[in-house]
Amino acid sequence: MAPIPTSGLMFSADGKMATLQASDIPIIDQPRWPAMDAETTPAFLSFKLVFKSTDEPVKYENPMQQYRFEGFKATAQLEATIRVPAIGFTFKTDPLEQSSCDFAVMGIEVNGRYYEAGKD
Amino acid sequence: MSAAHWFGPVLDRRNLLKLAAAAAAGLPQTVLRAQSEAPGCAPAIPQNHAPSNGGNCPYPIPWLDKNGNHNQSPMPNVELSNIYHFKGRLARCNGFHGMGTDSHGNRLAWGTPTTDYSYMAGEYWAARQPHQAIFAHT
Repeated sequence: MAPIPTSGLMFSADGKMATLQASDIPIIDQPRWPAMDAETTPAFLSFKLVFKSTDEPVKYENPMQQYRFEGFKATAQLEATIRVPAIGFTFKTDPLEQSSCDFAVMGIEVNGRYYEAGKD
Repeated sequence: MSAAHWFGPVLDRRNLLKLAAAAAAGLPQTVLRAQSEAPGCAPAIPQNHAPSNGGNCPYPIPWLDKNGNHNQSPMPNVELSNIYHFKGRLARCNGFHGMGTDSHGNRLAWGTPTTDYSYMAGEYWAARQPHQAIFAHT
């Protein structure tokens, strides 16, 4: 989980589309992970992720675990580039529109100390 | 859980599926270049016997953290947030499918059931006060 600047997450005026974007996030290439002595090589990830809400509502709630998510099923598409400069390797996905995902939702979450306060 | 079985086995040459997992699990202090270095969130040492209020880091989800994980694969009826004591906008997705090209011109498939991305934008509670922030899980 990484903090991102405000400019990295944009919403459409109606709130039904969200675009998450980041450039050159420092990551590592670790081909032999999860081996204990797996060597690592610095790498960088840039990506653009677009969520689009559908009209199908969802609500996931568990009072015992003190969380509630209310929102909509969504679609999500992703394009990304990964660079491993030390070995001159890059991988670039096809354009955003050519990707798909199996599960996506977007909405509002409350949990922990905010759970009871947010009840209807 | 692994955030990041990003590429499928077809990319075994570099096994890049480990990249994002390492980013999520192995480099907890990494930040985007686009922003300034995040302030340290470790609890400050109280002076003059004052009580400690803890640090500014978000709380992990308790029942996931106890198993050494900070999140779980998104699906219906599970906690989708990575942060406990949170309220705000959240989106989560996984199971990407797509194709791409490497620097040698090879066409490769990417995406697995655990290719998992999210954003959390809103308020979290830590150090006995609310904080506003945006986080991404990659």
